[in-house]
Amino acid sequence: MNYRLTNTSHQTESAFAAIKKFWPLLRNQKREIFLAFVAVIFSSIASLVGPLIIGLIVDKFIATKQISGVLSWGAVLFLVYALSAIATYFQTKLMGTVGQKLLFSLRSEIFNKLQSLPLAFFNQNKVGDLISRINNDTDKLNQFFSQALVQFISNSFMMVGAAIFLVMLNLKLGIASLVPAFALLIITKALSSWIKQKNNTNLKATGNLSAEISEALENFKLVAVFNRRDYFRNRFNEVNEVNYQSSLAAGVANNTLIPIYSLASNIAQAIVLFYGVSLIINGNLTVGLLVSYVSYVGRFYDPIRHVASIWSTFQIALAGWDRISEILNLKSELKITEVENKKSKKTNSLLEFSKVNFAYQEGKNVLHNISFDLEMGKTYAFVGPTGGGKTTIASLMSRLFDPTSGEIYLNGQDIKSFPEKERTQKIGFILQEPFLFSATIAENILYGNPKCQSLSITELEKVLAEFGLDKLLNRFPQGLETKVSTKGQLSLGQQQLIAFIRAILRKPELLILDEASANVDTVTEKLLDEILTKLPQTTTKVIIAHRFNTIENADEIFFVNAGNVTKAGSLKHAMELLLKEKRHS
Amino acid sequence: MSKPAGPATPSANVFVLLKKYPKHSLLLVAFAFLANGLGLIIPKLIAIGIDSFTSSGVFPSHLILPTFLIITGIFIFSFAQNLMQTIASERVALDLRKQLTQKISLQNNATIEKFTPAVLLTNLTSDIDAVKTFIAQAVAGIVSSLLLIIGSSILLLITDWKLALVVLLIIPIIGITFKVIFGKVQVLFIKGQEVIDWLNKVINESILGSATVRILNSEDREKEKFKQANETATNTGLKILSYFSSLIPVITFVSGMAVLVIVVLGGYFVIKGEMTLGSFTAFNSYVGILIFPIIMMGFMSNVIARSAASYGRIQQIFDHPNPTESGKLSAENLSGAIEAKDLSLVIGTKNILNKTTFKIKAGTRTAIIGPTAAGKTQLLSLIVGLTEPTSGQILFDGKKIKDYDQNSFFNKVGLVFQESVLFNTTIEENIGFSDSANSENINKAIATAELENLISTLPDGLKTIVSERGTSLSGGQKQRLMLARALALNPQVLLLDDFTARVDLNTEKNILNNIKKNYPNITLISITQKISSVIDYDQILVLMEGDVIAKGTHEQLLKSSPEYIQMYESQKSTNQYELSTD
Repeated sequence: MNYRLTNTSHQTESAFAAIKKFWPLLRNQKREIFLAFVAVIFSSIASLVGPLIIGLIVDKFIATKQISGVLSWGAVLFLVYALSAIATYFQTKLMGTVGQKLLFSLRSEIFNKLQSLPLAFFNQNKVGDLISRINNDTDKLNQFFSQALVQFISNSFMMVGAAIFLVMLNLKLGIASLVPAFALLIITKALSSWIKQKNNTNLKATGNLSAEISEALENFKLVAVFNRRDYFRNRFNEVNEVNYQSSLAAGVANNTLIPIYSLASNIAQAIVLFYGVSLIINGNLTVGLLVSYVSYVGRFYDPIRHVASIWSTFQIALAGWDRISEILNLKSELKITEVENKKSKKTNSLLEFSKVNFAYQEGKNVLHNISFDLEMGKTYAFVGPTGGGKTTIASLMSRLFDPTSGEIYLNGQDIKSFPEKERTQKIGFILQEPFLFSATIAENILYGNPKCQSLSITELEKVLAEFGLDKLLNRFPQGLETKVSTKGQLSLGQQQLIAFIRAILRKPELLILDEASANVDTVTEKLLDEILTKLPQTTTKVIIAHRFNTIENADEIFFVNAGNVTKAGSLKHAMELLLKEKRHS
Repeated sequence: MSKPAGPATPSANVFVLLKKYPKHSLLLVAFAFLANGLGLIIPKLIAIGIDSFTSSGVFPSHLILPTFLIITGIFIFSFAQNLMQTIASERVALDLRKQLTQKISLQNNATIEKFTPAVLLTNLTSDIDAVKTFIAQAVAGIVSSLLLIIGSSILLLITDWKLALVVLLIIPIIGITFKVIFGKVQVLFIKGQEVIDWLNKVINESILGSATVRILNSEDREKEKFKQANETATNTGLKILSYFSSLIPVITFVSGMAVLVIVVLGGYFVIKGEMTLGSFTAFNSYVGILIFPIIMMGFMSNVIARSAASYGRIQQIFDHPNPTESGKLSAENLSGAIEAKDLSLVIGTKNILNKTTFKIKAGTRTAIIGPTAAGKTQLLSLIVGLTEPTSGQILFDGKKIKDYDQNSFFNKVGLVFQESVLFNTTIEENIGFSDSANSENINKAIATAELENLISTLPDGLKTIVSERGTSLSGGQKQRLMLARALALNPQVLLLDDFTARVDLNTEKNILNNIKKNYPNITLISITQKISSVIDYDQILVLMEGDVIAKGTHEQLLKSSPEYIQMYESQKSTNQYELSTD
């Protein structure tokens, strides 16, 4: 059950392998990609033919002083440029669209993966780091796909086309002018993994930085009350310094290629000049061709320089991709098994634990060989000292986790064999610390409740009234329309009320209340008790509480301590256990 | 997506930053100038080479050495320029982050909440990154672009001014095209940023609420929410793209026309013998050099606009006045007598607290009791000065909180929050969070909060890391850690916000006894739901909808306050059990 994200970068992966990975996301865009390539070829050819025509005009007409030829070939040149402009338009548009749609699929893929992973994944990773991975790292991919990709591909095409022209016009001069490019290829290959690694380290440092800042800012009142403004500064300065170092290293790495590429371009131009002149002296080249050559060398090396500046964007994107694919490669271990797999012998139990062991971390069991069963329509209380394992048991009941060993049966059937929809419909769980989405209270109440989703506000009020839930709404200034936005705006007690209403409205067969009203005042709590009695007689209730008033009507009380569960019998006995117990936690 | 229109963010002159780093800026400009200046000579060299060869037919060997030197020079200076860009921009980012944190750390909590942590996080990360991009790209970009545009224009004019004037027409044409299209794109960029914020919000909430999502099986609902935001993001991206895809062909076409002019008109001049073939070639090259910096300037103007907006947001934080200097009064000998006079708090249009007045004697125990959303937590926050009252005042030993030296005041006042606020560090550092906590005080606090057993079972003891939202600690354990942290101050006043909610009965009893024993003269203020735990308190305040509707001891309230009696009745049946255990 390990979902912890590491930060090992996968050095073996080449750029090509990464592109191959993006391919499944591109498959449904074959037509656009094909058309884009056609446009790229057209625009590249057009911009390559230009210098050729200029060379021709110089040699055939200017050198021979024929102004009419200059004019008529000038018209051809105009056509070429017009065609080039049109092709460039379609090239940018089509490639850009492919990039945007790819990004769309990629973002969906990541988000859907996130939804498919179990709770353990979120508990094992830092929220700040996760958010940075998904926001920041996809943004790096975004920059590459929305801006750089178009240039990357068209420049690559231009480069190849110019190289072909260079070699075809004059083999010797062509090869000579491409020698610096070969050197570049080797240097780039040698430096790429270094650049990527520096960027990977830097992205990690950025993740830490934002995790640290958000922790410190969210907890600022603590900093203020305990007078540790220096703590805030020191801790931040530390990560700031680390981020500075890694960012500096990444910046240097990203910038090394650019001057080297300019150097290669300049050397190539010098080669063309001096070697070209000596070829002319030997009668192997014309002056007009030399002029075209100077321009072709530019057309070959300029795109290379562009690619060089894009290359680091590409390496940054790859580093981001590594961190994201770590999430994409995770698989949920909470699988749905075959129905016939395992059956309980008991018939009238709704939920049964059979010899359940559980560990969050391997080897550290927090539940030891627990067995109990819950019958339909009864109310059960789980009491015990803090840290005894009550919340863990509740989490297992709603299959937020699977037991390390042992079985849990729902309606006599292995809980693992229930489809999620059916299982979650049967089991309602009100968490100790409820979570509300930034929306109105009505939307929060209806959240995850497809049956009531389409109700209007008045219809919803009616449904709420059936359960007596309407009485709770006067705790909110604008009733159902009250907006929940930033944290701290509603008190913990109010949040608990919303979570309570939300759970009741789903009419679960098993309702688990984990300290669900701990921060609600006792008068309101009475109201909650009344509402609970309005649930169908068949509803099984599990109540976890410290306050005994909430559990006095329980049919059975379980005492949970140090990962063991015992039947307490009466409330009085439970009290005695709790008071006498030498705690092991 | 409905977003309230935020206040217009002012933009600030980012160029001011350059003045603060004269050495960095000067070197950066110098290197950019040298590298690009030398670059301009290359086409000239080629022209001279071709001309000297065509006129003499001799190999231009005298040019080999200068060419080599210039190429080497360009390499060295452009390397230095790139290095300087990185060094300067990272330096500026480092310093800005440091200064901004320093500034933020001096603010009081209300200011942080006003700006909101999310916005401050953006200021410290992406806004500073935008400023960094300005230094890294815009400064050198503008210097080199201007140099190349001016340099190649002059060279064009020198070579042939008539032809040059026609060719230079492309500068205003491309410039205007850029201005028009960027004007339209700018709006979309802002919208794009909003959509990204929206996407992030959906992602963040789905992470923070992951347990809720799984319990309610609403993964599909989340996917649907995300799909909407994602589609909007893609559509905005496509709109921006459609502007760009019309911009680029215009530029290539216009520059193509410039080349056409050179070929036809220049060709005519060469035929007429008014221009050499070498100059003709150089003209071609200079036009090539000219176009790129024009495009560059266009993109840089966008970078500048973005970074100016970011710098403006950062500057806003810097310009926020620091909280008034705290007083000089030492709280060293604070007795712990507290008095609230006509305390009112209004948030927005809502009255949270109405003219509340009460007195708490030093060394006594006071409970604040009342229904959910009565304003109890806000009252606590007002008492310690975390929130400024709208009117009225709080006195400690007869003096205003502001008169006390904040350091010394908060060394004597301990607060335990309702929700778990723990740092992702060791238990020891969390408990000894305050500087004034020495090991003797920490041990006393641990014993008082009944944490000894827990800590002894942990493999790393006090050095165990408390993980962020980790499963390692239960709600009650976190609550006790927070109590220990407050007690480690050895405080004179202790405020508990719903401390008993997550701690079991037995532990609660022990802890309250421990406090009585280990901190005998402490003034205790406790927000609670449980009447049974405060029956013997010196004073109970009943708070309802912002009003203290009753105060007194348990006995007095049972005679005078119907609301209190109602609350008491609702808990009575179980009190029998709880009382029987005394």
